[in-house]
Amino acid sequence: MDSREIEQLVEKYWNCETLLEEEKQLRDFFRGNMPENLKETAELFRYFEQQQNVAIGQSSFDAEVKKKIAASVPKAKSVSLFNMARIAAGVVVLVAAGYFVREEVRKAYPDEPKDTFSDPRMALEETKKALMMISNSFNKAHKEASKIEMFNEAEQQIQGKRIDEKKTNI
Amino acid sequence: MNIEAFENRVLPTKNKLFRFAFRLLGSQEEAKDVVQEVMLKVWNGREQMATIDNMEAWCMRITKNMSLDRLRSKQRRVTDSMEEGFEIRQESLSPLERTEIQESMQRINELMKALPEKQRQVMHLRDIEGYSYNEICEILELDMSQVKVNLFRARGAVREKLVKMNAYGL
Repeated sequence: MDSREIEQLVEKYWNCETLLEEEKQLRDFFRGNMPENLKETAELFRYFEQQQNVAIGQSSFDAEVKKKIAASVPKAKSVSLFNMARIAAGVVVLVAAGYFVREEVRKAYPDEPKDTFSDPRMALEETKKALMMISNSFNKAHKEASKIEMFNEAEQQIQGKRIDEKKTNI
Repeated sequence: MNIEAFENRVLPTKNKLFRFAFRLLGSQEEAKDVVQEVMLKVWNGREQMATIDNMEAWCMRITKNMSLDRLRSKQRRVTDSMEEGFEIRQESLSPLERTEIQESMQRINELMKALPEKQRQVMHLRDIEGYSYNEICEILELDMSQVKVNLFRARGAVREKLVKMNAYGL
């Protein structure tokens, strides 16, 4: 590459128009040449080259990293105290709500009657007694109710008379 | 990712990560700590990282974020910054030339340090590490135009100062 080409390339470099490949060419060129008119550019490229070789400079680095890696257990998903408190609060609300709802339901539907007799025969006697009482009451009521029939008869008689009257009127 | 893949894909990036962290933090000790932290983080998150195709760019990105976190944290240790020696490899140079080169390296180092953070990052990634613009976008989480503007300004500032220095015969 002649100096003209290099100068053009350097100009391109300062305008940020060079490709990576061209920048590499410049670096290669300035490694061996230091034209007086491009002194500062040459220095810069030598600096770049020198910087590329800077290394971590510690032979034990890899071993140290590997040791730390072996020792490091991936962090378990930590649930923060705040989140735990939120979940706990939610549970408390649900439990309280459940309790009150149960109370209300209990009030609305009283307990089913329970057996009051342990002996089946006594239970039967008691049931019979109760049924007899109901039956007596019915009979009494029926007797009274039969009196209503008198009214019905009377009403029919009256109506019959009226009909007769109407017929005679016509 | 198993330990073997880690050793083949992640550990070898250590020097690049180190240089980048060093460029941002200015302290070798801190840079080394950051690289270790990055390695551990990558290892602990290896399940989620199975889908990442550019592992190196990903590691660089974590390095950047961790370094910036450190820079911004208040508990930052105050360390002597940039304790750096410039090793000159060329054997053919005379002692005088050697010191001259060392001095110019030191000056350019100071120039880079004086650049605003973003410009320094972009210039480091492009000119020292040789990343493509796309990779730089990925590492720095910037869009293409921002990367190009920052690089343009960085190179412009460095050039201007270099020319000035040489004009005053420094």
